Amino acid sequence: MKTTPDNSGDVRLSGISKTYGSFTAVHPLDLTVPEGSFFALLGASGCGKTTTLRMIAGLEEPTTGTVRLGDQDVTHLPPYKRPVNTVFQSYALFPHLDIFENVAFGLRRRGIKSVKKQVEEMLELVQLGEQARKKPHQLSGGQQQRVAVARALINHPKVLLLDEPLGALDLKLRRQMQLELKRIQTEVGITFVHVTHDQEEAMTMADTVAVMNGGRVEQLGAPADLYENPRTTFVANFLGTSNLIEAEVDTKSGEDIVLKAGGGKLVLPEARCSAPATSGGKVLVGIRPEKISLTHADDAGSIPAGRNRLTGTIADASFIGVSTQYVIDSPVCDELSVYVQNVERDGRLVPGADVVLHWSPAHTFGLDAAQDIDAGTEEEVAA
Amino acid sequence: MPFVNWLKRHLVVIAGLLTLAYLLLPNVIVTVFSFNQPKGRFNYEWQRFSTDAWQDPCGVAGMCGSLSLSLQIALWATVGATILGTMIAFALVRYRFRARGAVSSLIFLPMAMPEVVMAASLLTLFLNMGAQLGFWTVLIAHIMFCLSFVVTAVKARVMSMDPRLEEAARDLYAGPVQTFLRVTLPIAAPGIAAGALLSFALSFDDFIITNFNAGSTVTFPMFVWGSAQRGTPVQINVIGTAMFLVAVLLVLVSMVVGNRRNKQKA
Repeated sequence: MKTTPDNSGDVRLSGISKTYGSFTAVHPLDLTVPEGSFFALLGASGCGKTTTLRMIAGLEEPTTGTVRLGDQDVTHLPPYKRPVNTVFQSYALFPHLDIFENVAFGLRRRGIKSVKKQVEEMLELVQLGEQARKKPHQLSGGQQQRVAVARALINHPKVLLLDEPLGALDLKLRRQMQLELKRIQTEVGITFVHVTHDQEEAMTMADTVAVMNGGRVEQLGAPADLYENPRTTFVANFLGTSNLIEAEVDTKSGEDIVLKAGGGKLVLPEARCSAPATSGGKVLVGIRPEKISLTHADDAGSIPAGRNRLTGTIADASFIGVSTQYVIDSPVCDELSVYVQNVERDGRLVPGADVVLHWSPAHTFGLDAAQDIDAGTEEEVAA
Repeated sequence: MPFVNWLKRHLVVIAGLLTLAYLLLPNVIVTVFSFNQPKGRFNYEWQRFSTDAWQDPCGVAGMCGSLSLSLQIALWATVGATILGTMIAFALVRYRFRARGAVSSLIFLPMAMPEVVMAASLLTLFLNMGAQLGFWTVLIAHIMFCLSFVVTAVKARVMSMDPRLEEAARDLYAGPVQTFLRVTLPIAAPGIAAGALLSFALSFDDFIITNFNAGSTVTFPMFVWGSAQRGTPVQINVIGTAMFLVAVLLVLVSMVVGNRRNKQKA
């Protein structure tokens, strides 16, 4: 994937922050994006992800800290002197220029005379060769998006910045463009830094995801790692759905922590607990809805030993097709989500039925109970 | 009731045609009377057809001189008001400064103020400053009242411009000057052009303010006013008709160009 050994496509942010008057958009933050990687900044609107991107582009001056591209300090370079290009939200195509001239813009500004061949090749790459003489407003949203990508990529930037590039597209087109962008990134091998509020988009496309909240990076890692081992309630709720149950630390046995929740006991591997677990202290026990199995209370005896168990009553069941999503009322938690694959459907699992929820302790994760348990949930983010 | 039905169906067209006739009738009269050969000094009664005036448009003493003066003033007033007004519009939209709101409303004042009041106060100002009334005082006055219109037209355009377009230009290696010339200016151009056209039209036919501040200089509208007291030469109608034709021609050309562009796009 890497073509040059000098790491000139690395992005290194050290201690950069941005304040507007008394409002801090980005708290001092350190971040390294390795050359050739597809990096996503994920967060709800107003979390500072776009500001961070604009500081890399040079469109915002950081209040503190430095931005480095490879070994070059670009903190005080204006955007037009940085080897970085941006795909803007809603594309920002020049309305008075046709598609060809939009794509040629960067080359012409750098004084390159013969642009025809390069522009035509680039338009072929994004499958818009036929549209070269049209104006931007005559193209569909997906086509405009591809023009925006072509206009940036033709300059062979060291880093390509994408600011919510798929936000304006409908769902189907968005899926298609996600794959398309991923393909282009693999093909050209340029470092991509992608800003999005869509967790699925971030997980599908990026090698590394940084989850941002309130101007800080909450957690950084590979998508699967973030999903399986969230370290904060925000990450647990923002990436997919999590059931979080408040529990009290009882004892430690070997590499496991035993917790009391309601009347029952839950086991949590110590390695998967990001909070200090002292006897008598509180911990949030997390479990993803698809990891939980549902068994009707009458068959409770058939559940293998060694699994974590909770009892409850089905409050709601919605059939999705591939799976059924249940909402369970439990003494330890009001609304537990459980997703069950529709392999063999148990006809007794209807609202009102008493059930046992059980899962492997290895799938359990533990979080610091001092946090807001609802951070990052849809209702909380929307509010 | 076939007639009533017919009327119902064509009411919009009839109303449109009547309005058009109401608007165009004065122009038709001007044109028709440019081919008149009046008896005496007044061109108010139709006598008989003649092309004398068209063959000798400058045959009246002083008229073509005043026309040329009016065109010059209109041109320079347009240039001055467009440049200043465009800069003011950009400043008002782009920069946050003290009294920005106040400046914004003050710019509108010349449009709202009765012309005759403005004319009189300008004259007072010029006299107190000891300025020589003439070409320059008229030009200064014209630039002043044209400014508001340019600012209004350009401001609307600049306000609706997506600031990301300029960021995109800077991101694509265009420095501040290039960004302005290649992106900002072309996108603001329709607003600037509208402001310039308005300025030219307003300046060319202004009478009240000009009359107060021109001293012994005579512009075309002043010449027409003056001759109306003593007798109206047919040549005035010739110039009027010519101006009307030029305007119609410009509109037609712009429509044809616009249509062709739209066809290319489709």
